Amino acid sequence: MCFKNLPVEFDARGVAHLKGGVVDPYAYKPREIKREKLEELLARNGHIKDVSISPVTRVAGALSFHAVADLQARTFLEANSIATIFRGYEVILKGRDPRDAIYISSRACGVCGGVHSTAACEAIEMAFGISPPPLGTVLRNLALSLDFLYDHPLHLFLLAGPDYSQVVVEATTPAMWEKAKVTEAPNADIHQYKTIGDIMKGLNPLSGKLYLDGLKMTRTPREAYSVLFGKYPHPQTVVPGGMSSTVTITDFNETYTRLQKMIDWTKRMIFLWDDLTEFFYDYNPEYKKVGARPANLIDLGMWDDENAYDATYARCSEWGEARWATPGVVIDGSLVTTKLQQINLGLEEFVEHSYYESWNGNGQQRYANDPSGAPLSPNHPWNKETMPKPSKESWKDRYTWDTAPRWDRQVVEAGAYARIWTTAAAGLMPKNEFMKATGTSLKMHLPKTMLRQMDVEWKIPAVWNAFERNRARAYCMAYNLMVGYSMVLKAFDLLRKGEDRVSTKFEVPQNERIGVGFWGAGRGYLSHHLVLEKGAITNYQIVTPSTFNASPKDPFGNPGPYEEAVLNTPILEDFDKPSDFTGVDMLRTIRSFDPCMPCTTHIYGGQREIVREVNTCACAAEG
Amino acid sequence: MVLVSGIGYSNMRDMSFGRVLYGEMAVMTWPEHVHVEDLNFGPVMIYQWLDESPVKYDKLILVSAAQRGRKPGTLEVYHWDGELPGEDRIQACIEEAITGVISFENLLIVCKHLGVLPADVTIVEIEPQDTEYGLEFSPTVAAKVDEAIQMVRSEAMKAAPK
Repeated sequence: MCFKNLPVEFDARGVAHLKGGVVDPYAYKPREIKREKLEELLARNGHIKDVSISPVTRVAGALSFHAVADLQARTFLEANSIATIFRGYEVILKGRDPRDAIYISSRACGVCGGVHSTAACEAIEMAFGISPPPLGTVLRNLALSLDFLYDHPLHLFLLAGPDYSQVVVEATTPAMWEKAKVTEAPNADIHQYKTIGDIMKGLNPLSGKLYLDGLKMTRTPREAYSVLFGKYPHPQTVVPGGMSSTVTITDFNETYTRLQKMIDWTKRMIFLWDDLTEFFYDYNPEYKKVGARPANLIDLGMWDDENAYDATYARCSEWGEARWATPGVVIDGSLVTTKLQQINLGLEEFVEHSYYESWNGNGQQRYANDPSGAPLSPNHPWNKETMPKPSKESWKDRYTWDTAPRWDRQVVEAGAYARIWTTAAAGLMPKNEFMKATGTSLKMHLPKTMLRQMDVEWKIPAVWNAFERNRARAYCMAYNLMVGYSMVLKAFDLLRKGEDRVSTKFEVPQNERIGVGFWGAGRGYLSHHLVLEKGAITNYQIVTPSTFNASPKDPFGNPGPYEEAVLNTPILEDFDKPSDFTGVDMLRTIRSFDPCMPCTTHIYGGQREIVREVNTCACAAEG
Repeated sequence: MVLVSGIGYSNMRDMSFGRVLYGEMAVMTWPEHVHVEDLNFGPVMIYQWLDESPVKYDKLILVSAAQRGRKPGTLEVYHWDGELPGEDRIQACIEEAITGVISFENLLIVCKHLGVLPADVTIVEIEPQDTEYGLEFSPTVAAKVDEAIQMVRSEAMKAAPK
């Protein structure tokens, strides 16, 4: 029984149905947000500070954050996460040929390579009733492991990394910097940074070696990606039923050499983030509370088994559990389901604190059941309608363009770390020679390259916080790498057997069809829900990892993951007066989620304008 | 060797001047010392491309549109003085570049900071009239296309091998 709050139960055969005797099973009464006490404190106390950070930098797209900090008690009293932009994918896609969704939804993000294209394809495959041949699936898996080998270094060294650099640590906690300079790094023999201070210097933006190497390393996986998918980002080669790339053994060899290049670097990076994390914990155990929240995580899994994936909804829980990343929901640290159908049934989106109208005004819902007959909430994406309603920003009412997706009406977060967690906990990973999910950890064998062969193990952490998000992401480098490596070996094997087909023929159906792409982005969970009629899209709904993570409060009064994590964060930086307060602990918290806002607010604003000022060119006109 | 390109987002009417002109210049015949390339794929990736390029360029000519309060349709050619902003602004440009922003300003700052820009950077720039979403230039800017290309050609010839 995976649901605690939704009115759904399962019979002995595992078939879901609504609990009996409940008149309006999905009804709820929104809880009012009360701020009067806080407003009074703000007016009365000099040490209660209203903190608005707009934009939160080192984030793709527009994220603002508003918090109220008690600088004396060194805590946050209120936190509001704000997606400030308004775009339009769900509206743009209505009425179009479903195949357009592959190329249009891809533009939701300029960082994620082909994750939206692939999610769109899987939704279309389910709706059309087709699936790729084995090499088509292997090729997708390979490219999407390469994609994350670009995404994770970007996060670790260019976006979140600077928060742990010498320049930031020295300015915000000088005593810690003094300690770091003389603290030997336990794994220096592997990563070659003698002290923690050396690691922090390496993370200095613009000049640090780790920063510059991170910048350089983003090229290698994208090269391999382009060999297989044609271009990065926004590939044109992901098609329903497979891929349109022509691949040969040479392409896989080229990919293989680039994966080799990444292995040594990854070995060093894992141990480096281990050393940095443990140093912070040792220096002050209070750092374990930075970004802390209950371990409530969600992931849809990804990287299909080429023989199991048939794109049917009826079998989605089976092919889902056969994936190289196991789907799952973790509540309070325990895995409560690995079944895609259950994850789908538990999903709802709420808009009480977002700039949208509710779509349930007339009490009608398009689908009362999923394609297998299980009950669906009126708040489920298949029933959702995107109805923008711009209004005044109010912390008590509406303050963001993001919605509040919840699973079983609980606040869950998404991320690469959720993917490694659900996979490790489930122990269902396909048998292979490089990785083993043990139930409490993911063991990975990294083959010999320039550095010796190494066994590394990511263990499900005892605490869940900003540091563990970053550490898990470093281990995900190894995870992605070995999935990619395994896929190259599979591709060689398939080609040896003469199985070189990468796509399946199809026709666009004209009757009503429904589909969902259960997939993952570099930042975790990604779903595309699709409804077709007369060969055109009648509803398209995208839920991304940052839709979950940046979400506002829900109607039950629960803050979204960024908000909750900030509320639990102690203020540990040094400052003598309020004007010296930098908010670094809050920023470490938010950035540990790897926020990406462009795909969070996939709504079109009507102006069709890209706003960007050109103002600092220091030009000297010569006429 | 001279590298020529045009920078801008697509479908932004006059603001897409650089991007559209790149497309036109890419199919024209140029002297051997001139290479026309699409540089709209992100400043960090362009840095990596220039860094690994076997050809080291002496001059970069970029076509773009910028709102600087001039009379719409004004075309200007100037040498970028290469002066970089403070480190915070450079870091912000890199952050924007890696998270998807494509801009003329970021391209120059990121590539200059990372040491891959040719010594001579020449800009051919137009003042836009219409900056709304759309496929076509305003008539004022459309009338300047040939002149702008001629300016690029003339700048490129200044760097021709003797």
